[in-house]
Amino acid sequence: MIFTIFKKELKETLRDRRTLMMMLVIPILIFPIIINITASVSTSFQEDAATKKIKIGIVDTPSKFLTNEFNQIPDSFGKKEVVNYVDTLQLIKDIKNEKIQLGAYLSGKFLSQLDAMVPAPVVFYFNATELGMQERAQGYMSVIEQKMQVERFKKLNISKEKINPIVSEYRNIASDKEMIGKLAGGFLPYIFIAFCFMGCMYPAIDLFTGEKERGTIETLLTTPVARWQLLFGKMGVVVLSGLLAASAALLGLFLSMETLNGLDNDELLKVVHSILSPSFIFLMYCLLIPLTVFFAGVMIPIAVYAKTFKEAQSIITPLNIVMVIPAMVGLFPGVELNVMTACIPVVNIVLSTKELIAGTLDPFLVALSFMVMTALAVLAVFISYRRFDKESNVVL
Amino acid sequence: MIEVNNLSKTFELSRQQRKELNTDAKTSVAVDNISFRCEPGRIFSLLGPNGAGKTTTMRMLSTIYKPTTGEILMGGIDAVKNPQEARRKIGFLTGSTGLYARLTPNELIHYFGDLYGVDKETINQRKEELYTLLGMHDFQNKRIGKLSTGMKQKVSICRTMIHDPEIIVFDEPTSGLDVITAENIIQLIQNCKNQGKTVIFSSHIMSEVDLLCDDMAIIHKGKLLFSGTMTDFKGQMQADNLTAEFIRIVHQSQNTPS
Repeated sequence: MIFTIFKKELKETLRDRRTLMMMLVIPILIFPIIINITASVSTSFQEDAATKKIKIGIVDTPSKFLTNEFNQIPDSFGKKEVVNYVDTLQLIKDIKNEKIQLGAYLSGKFLSQLDAMVPAPVVFYFNATELGMQERAQGYMSVIEQKMQVERFKKLNISKEKINPIVSEYRNIASDKEMIGKLAGGFLPYIFIAFCFMGCMYPAIDLFTGEKERGTIETLLTTPVARWQLLFGKMGVVVLSGLLAASAALLGLFLSMETLNGLDNDELLKVVHSILSPSFIFLMYCLLIPLTVFFAGVMIPIAVYAKTFKEAQSIITPLNIVMVIPAMVGLFPGVELNVMTACIPVVNIVLSTKELIAGTLDPFLVALSFMVMTALAVLAVFISYRRFDKESNVVL
Repeated sequence: MIEVNNLSKTFELSRQQRKELNTDAKTSVAVDNISFRCEPGRIFSLLGPNGAGKTTTMRMLSTIYKPTTGEILMGGIDAVKNPQEARRKIGFLTGSTGLYARLTPNELIHYFGDLYGVDKETINQRKEELYTLLGMHDFQNKRIGKLSTGMKQKVSICRTMIHDPEIIVFDEPTSGLDVITAENIIQLIQNCKNQGKTVIFSSHIMSEVDLLCDDMAIIHKGKLLFSGTMTDFKGQMQADNLTAEFIRIVHQSQNTPS
């Protein structure tokens, strides 16, 4: 009987455009759209910044030392035009007025400092609101500095190796998988939780408040079906919708990484592939199912209590923030799964999934998280049943 | 047969409801110790003004509400103790019955047939009979949301009758319907009587009651003011017509100290 109700409710849900949009279309498209826009904007910005011809104002030495050096730098480091200034006042004014993009100042002692082999300062002026100017200056100066270093080593007749007494080497023993798991692993369950909640919301309101508002609940309650069966049939659809929405979001994210080059790094992509093994996906769903049931169990009593779709929506929407904030806690690097965090709902699932991705899971803590979430899900289902069984809530 | 003995229903009032009703009372008595009996092959009408307690009584009969006190026997089954068992015998229809707009009549009928535990073959057979009777073949596969009010009412009737119930409960079945659409319901009630089913319907329209019912009860503010046959009612009439007599009885009860 539960399956009969489930089948009918699912059919109705899949025929509702609004639910379908929230459950499948938006989750599946959101990441490809975001990643595509971000990638194209950032690529076009980088290309623009690299090819842009900039004007550089220089308060130079009388021999035009820096002007000559700048003119020798190939255009591959960025096209430029050098303009000479006599003082920094006009130079700064012109940067502000966007007549030039970069300014350099060499003091009168610059050449004597060079000859004395003491560090000779070059001061650069730029407007930080114009992105990429500091990087452009650093690029030019690294070319000049390297050239001068080679000349100086030659002059002093020493090799570069002799002035580097120690060569320090730092080796990271954590695997890429572990790094991703610990530092960015919270992102995956966060996406899941956010979309899962969104996916549960509309079917929960539609199948409970909607049924009341449309006047169909009365006839349903006169059928020889126990209320718990009605509740379970409907709840099954709410849970499935949440899982479908979350899966669609993850699928969208995965597709955008695979086909839209959202992750422009082959090594990282390999690690992501190794993380997304069938056993990982299975374990992740095992952790997330009680969470989804918990979400459904929290929303259903509200949907049963509310008299109109609007009322239910106005209560459940702010609840989204309450549920998603703990999920965000798990995003912070350094927040670890321990006995305490394993007992905090939502946070425990995010942290367990993080450990799962990193491959460093402690079976006891993951089992504890699972049990805590399952216990809360059972409690939420029980509260839903009590609410649904209360005649004043069910009939308008 | 329906047998109702000393039936009462008291609702707890929420703070909001107390405020709306301007009362300090924590409870409200919707139905107060009523008893009546509906026989098979006869039409029983529960008559009363708005807010009399008709819908609450009908909802108790159809097991949506649990009575505070009293007994309801539906075809010999105690509907308070075995509501699920009693529901198999009941068909319930209201004037404001909603239907699942995203389903087709066929899908809806099969769904309710399944909920009543009717086997596929019987569902198809009953469906065919009812579709022919009501002229529903043309729109059986259209979404209900796209049907006219009259077509929807036919779907409601078909849904009510798919499990061939022996007791039919109609709660203000023609309320809000135009005369042509209401005619389908009137016809259904008469057909049910002819088939020997037990029919109870609530109404506040005296002409409808006069047209259809064999037995009747008048209820006001939850109390039963009259219960008997239509012939008895007409015989005891002090006013010129049925509507005037109904109003007289209601007014008299308001003036009589309880």
